[in-house]
Amino acid sequence: MNMMGIFEKIVTPGSIDVAVRILIILVKIAIVVGIALLHVAYATYWERKVIGHMQVRLGPIEVGWHGMLQPFADGVKLFFKEDIIPANADKPLFYLSPVIFFVAALSSLSVLPFFNDFVIANINIGLLFLFAMSSLGAYGIVLSGWSSNSKYAFLGGLRSASQVISYEIAMGLSLVGVMMMAGSLNLTDIVNAQHSYPTGMYAIPQILGFFVFIAAAFAETNRLPFDLPEAESELVAGYFTEYSGFRFALFFLGEYTGMIVMSSIAAVCFLGGWTIPRFVTDVLPFLSVVPGIVWFLLKVYAFMFLYYWVRATLPRYRYDQLMSIGWKILIPLALLNIVITGFIKVMVEGLL
Amino acid sequence: MRTQKLIQKMLFIEILKGMALTFRTMFTHPVTRRYPKVKRPVMPGFRGLHALAKNDEGKLKCVGCGLCGAYCPSKCIHIYTSEGEDHTKVVDRYEIEVLRCVYCGFCVEACPFGAITLSEHYEYSDYSREPFYMTKEKLLSNWDKYFAGEKGKRYLRDFWRPKTADFAGAEDQATFSKVRRKK
Repeated sequence: MNMMGIFEKIVTPGSIDVAVRILIILVKIAIVVGIALLHVAYATYWERKVIGHMQVRLGPIEVGWHGMLQPFADGVKLFFKEDIIPANADKPLFYLSPVIFFVAALSSLSVLPFFNDFVIANINIGLLFLFAMSSLGAYGIVLSGWSSNSKYAFLGGLRSASQVISYEIAMGLSLVGVMMMAGSLNLTDIVNAQHSYPTGMYAIPQILGFFVFIAAAFAETNRLPFDLPEAESELVAGYFTEYSGFRFALFFLGEYTGMIVMSSIAAVCFLGGWTIPRFVTDVLPFLSVVPGIVWFLLKVYAFMFLYYWVRATLPRYRYDQLMSIGWKILIPLALLNIVITGFIKVMVEGLL
Repeated sequence: MRTQKLIQKMLFIEILKGMALTFRTMFTHPVTRRYPKVKRPVMPGFRGLHALAKNDEGKLKCVGCGLCGAYCPSKCIHIYTSEGEDHTKVVDRYEIEVLRCVYCGFCVEACPFGAITLSEHYEYSDYSREPFYMTKEKLLSNWDKYFAGEKGKRYLRDFWRPKTADFAGAEDQATFSKVRRKK
């Protein structure tokens, strides 16, 4: 067989089609990851700025105009920092765990619909995939705590494991109401179902589920008031105590990506994703000209602001309080929400 | 009462109040002072880096009496004198270990002639100990740097008025030549 024959066998119309589709997916991935990492960088800046002003400080202000280049200065600093590995650490796991954490956070982005028809993988079990990835992130935390061979890191890892497992249940159950109303696990379908629903957002009929989701989202991403795994006053820095340089930066990026993913889930499942309620566009028709990504990002930013706002306001819970809130309040509330939603769905035909 | 409390707890009234407070605080003016860029004005009479005062002719005011060194609680002033021509006292060395100084200002209070002063300069960090060991020459140049012109006169007039400006020695009392005689 000559070269031409092989070439003709490989390059058929079908294979070109596959190659183009793969290329489109790769371009989409590059766009999403690039924009997400830029958002992560400025999420740190924005957080420091918001919390600073809430504490009557200025926040970062020296690097660039109003400190706008601070995230890049931090990135350069972390990149050139010495990479310290404890002598007694379990080296393979020590190397691996930040990567697990970061990859788990980043791969959640693949199923999020950012605006109409823009989603890397429009799979039918998008919501389940998100749960799976947020649980996988806990492996990174637990393994990093264990492999560091330091008691602070170990305590942080243990706390994170039990916390994430407890709140995973509440978060899953809180979204069951949304699944029941939308009748689908596909995130695009959920958004479309919300758009055809009278209120335009599930946050209004699912107010109980939304509350449980907010509390569980804070706990899932190890943010205040549930940041026990990295409680500075007790555990130095928690599970990443022994990490420095770029390995630390991976945890940092993963945490903020996790926050953005959680905000996106809130925006998609409760706040109507890239759509705005129809009663708004009926009154102000010119708003429907605004591209969907603007609404989506506005909702994500609002939820991120809530993260910072709560962080600046509330102190940290005690560990037993954290557990009792999770098991004794949030899970029963989420179950109650499911029962009420199901009851109304069965009793009042067509309302949900 | 109890139901009211329960409802308050369920609706997170207190947490919402706290969040309203932080939200309002966000729009108040920050109290941060951006120090190296924006400096606070130094209050008059501030006790900073030491300087040895010069008189109108540009000569050292110090007569080497050693009162400042005797008063100094941290014993960081070292004065070495010798006998000069026509039996006057000459200050050979006047040295201050600035790192040991506690800036109490007793030396300035003790000085009868307003010779040792504390300037308003307070930014003198360095990488070694030597720059903090002040010799007579360095202390004199500090005067030129931080008390040039009217500033030094005002310092001695308004804040650290030397005792010899108000009190005079008795006619038969043995004093330094610079102390005024009672008429």
